[in-house]
Amino acid sequence: MQLGRYITEATQEVFATMIFMDLEPGETRENEKPNIDANLSSMIGLAGDLRGIISVLCPAAVAQGITGAMLGMDVTELDEDVKDAIGEIANMVAGGLKEAIAGDKKNIELAIPTTVIGKGIRTSGLKGATSVWVPFVTPMGEFGIEIKYVLS
Amino acid sequence: MSNFEEVGEKVIETTIEIFTTMVMMDVASSGAPLNELGSLQKSITGMIGLAGTHKGVLAVHFPNKVAMAITSNFLGMDVEDMNEDVQDAIGEIANMLGGNLKTILSEKGKDIILSLPSTISGDQYSFTSQAEVDQLILPFKTEFGSFYVEVELEK
Repeated sequence: MQLGRYITEATQEVFATMIFMDLEPGETRENEKPNIDANLSSMIGLAGDLRGIISVLCPAAVAQGITGAMLGMDVTELDEDVKDAIGEIANMVAGGLKEAIAGDKKNIELAIPTTVIGKGIRTSGLKGATSVWVPFVTPMGEFGIEIKYVLS
Repeated sequence: MSNFEEVGEKVIETTIEIFTTMVMMDVASSGAPLNELGSLQKSITGMIGLAGTHKGVLAVHFPNKVAMAITSNFLGMDVEDMNEDVQDAIGEIANMLGGNLKTILSEKGKDIILSLPSTISGDQYSFTSQAEVDQLILPFKTEFGSFYVEVELEK
């Protein structure tokens, strides 16, 4: 099971088919806190053979830029469109991950995306969980996708 | 009473039960469900995902003061910092509520599996779900302040 690779490929797929924006994936990091200064985090819970949470962590400018590219318009604040767009990315990357993990004979189910927008937000580590995150570089800056999980 | 309203009533009951027996804190439902939550200040949110035949999220939102009081009760000592103990305690509350919500929903024939609990905290943040959901935001009060239990279930 190569979660870093699965996340990278799923994200590249989403960007290639829906977002039409340049995307440069970075190296997968394990058990490191993502060093993204995120104002927005879209998260979706995972249950089944693997339990955890996948989060898309974006600074405001990057979230707005991605949304703008998806919708074909200028986005200048963290509004409903941005929450929906990044929530949808979380949903689709999680879906891609589910497919990839099925190849390892593991089944996971997805919950629903939720988005947190704020200043100085901290997320907890899950006790005993492994974390894997991948940084991505866009013309607007960097964002990250992190999965924290335990195997059932 | 609609199906979802019944779920709300049971979530209120189970929240009071968990706080009375596990947290040793008096809590009471403080009125009708809210339509929306608005911005949370100096707060921490515990959340757990529901998946399977019905997808959703259970989230519980506490002002820091209430979260620290809960953690103090759990640990039997004074907690005055928003530290890892608080994150663990709030994650555990979300876990217990999630487990009980699963039971409530499976009594209605829904087969649910839970993700892992996690927390998010900050000086100021908003929390919204992006799916088409039935939503319940239940307000509660304690001697330390109010808190909210939020249930989102995909339609």
